[in-house]
Amino acid sequence: MRLHQTTMALGIGVALLSLPAALFGQGTVPEPPTAPWAPARTPDGQPDVQGVWRPVDGGTQSLERAMSSGEYFDELATGVRKDYPSRIIDSEDGHIPYQSWAAALQQELEAVYENPTRPEHIDTQTRCLGPGVPRLYYFPRFRILQPAGSVVFVWDQYHSFRVIPLDGRPHVSPRIKLWSGDGRGRWEGNTLVVDTTNLNAKSRLDVIGDFFSDQAHILERFIFIDGTTMHYEATITDPTVFTRPWTMQVVQRREPDEEFWEYACHEGEHDAARTSSQFIDSDVGDR
Amino acid sequence: MRLRFVGLPYLAVVLSLIPSLASAQAAGGGTQTSGTTSIPRTSDGKPDMSGIWQVLNRANDNILAHSASEGVPAGLGVVDGDEIPYRPEALQQKEENFANRETRDTEANCYLPGVPRVTYMPFPFQIIQLPEVSTFLYEYVHATRYVHTNGSEHPEGPINWWMGDSRGRWEGDTLVIDVVHFTDQTWFDRTGNFHSEALHVVERYSLLDADHINYEVTIEDPAVFTRPWTMRMNLYRRTEPNFQLLDYDCYAFEWEQYYPYPGL
Repeated sequence: MRLHQTTMALGIGVALLSLPAALFGQGTVPEPPTAPWAPARTPDGQPDVQGVWRPVDGGTQSLERAMSSGEYFDELATGVRKDYPSRIIDSEDGHIPYQSWAAALQQELEAVYENPTRPEHIDTQTRCLGPGVPRLYYFPRFRILQPAGSVVFVWDQYHSFRVIPLDGRPHVSPRIKLWSGDGRGRWEGNTLVVDTTNLNAKSRLDVIGDFFSDQAHILERFIFIDGTTMHYEATITDPTVFTRPWTMQVVQRREPDEEFWEYACHEGEHDAARTSSQFIDSDVGDR
Repeated sequence: MRLRFVGLPYLAVVLSLIPSLASAQAAGGGTQTSGTTSIPRTSDGKPDMSGIWQVLNRANDNILAHSASEGVPAGLGVVDGDEIPYRPEALQQKEENFANRETRDTEANCYLPGVPRVTYMPFPFQIIQLPEVSTFLYEYVHATRYVHTNGSEHPEGPINWWMGDSRGRWEGDTLVIDVVHFTDQTWFDRTGNFHSEALHVVERYSLLDADHINYEVTIEDPAVFTRPWTMRMNLYRRTEPNFQLLDYDCYAFEWEQYYPYPGL
């Protein structure tokens, strides 16, 4: 099986190599070969991408300005506003294509996130709630496991995990909403395509209040360029909030394998609950 | 009402398991079998415990035998000898815990429930078994555990983790997991049975057949108990077609109304 696939890959590589020479005749220097990455295979035939991965520019402050938390604090400290690239690769202008009411709501949330006056002004991350999909993919860092018939993601933080079946089973009932949605995957070459529905959409997309609704449908593509680089692309379709589907991209790199140790957030978290108790009637001060 | 009772879902689980257990026995199951013991095995010959499991008992309410009370079904108990060997001074703490259980119980606060309690919470959990490490994924607060089976030792303490540090090894066909480095915050059940940071847990998972695990766990904590003591129970495979873990993020329930925005 593995030998056969290697031979196939070699064959494609040879074909690619010989193509420029055939086109341009002898004497032309051919382009360097760009043979597709030929990964090792798991026992059930998946491209083996197991191990630890981390976003190159991790940080959930803003989708349209992809900065790390360190860069964000630098900006706060210095007051100097630098340019950062947008994670949004479609729309072309790098902005989220909100409907006008939704754009207004996002701007309202962005204006108050540093000085909240209502419970909903506090980012879900501050409350230790699960970041969900797709936000988890710009959090450091996660481990991929590939037991037979599925792909499993386990994060270092929030003890979040996702189990993606590859057996073509249907989604769970639309009555069920989940923090990370209900993912169904398939491999297209070295790309894992995951169809994600049943999102509760409780987690924001970033600190500054970008959001979607529980009507959203996310098509995720994990494009493994080679053994160390993966492009995570998520296309969000949500006619309730956006004028058209849009796509974000987060480049991920493999990291040396090491143990993940316990990350407890809610268990030691008091600030958000106490802050919130100023804004709501019920007493949460004992949390 | 801080305790989150899950009586009705539990009943539904019991009812849904009955026919599937019967059909699973008829169908066999598992990927490879050897000799007379029809248990699934991995390619390296180890018993294959991959899959989704759940207890069918009331140990989370009370690990000792108990009569029914409002909202709490009766239970036969899971402790050998039906007695927990508390030191005399620790018994008073247990009684205080019981009196304050609605606020002090880790479950009432939706904290990570510790080991072994997470095993017998009335929620399914999934074992992802790979040669070097088995990853345990729990529906309850999506708790996770890595059980390292690569011969590595516990990291040097002192460390206080809610779920402890798990190192596993195979003794024949039994997966033996040694767990240390706990907090003193987690309980064994809703009645306030407790331990100290010195807790040392040894779990033993043995496949009885493709769909049943015999689970034994020995509790050692010289600060609280006069001797080690043992619980045992069965874990049942969830054999329903397309069964999967869902969410029980109880710490989020009071906040969900506000996100992504009230009324949206």
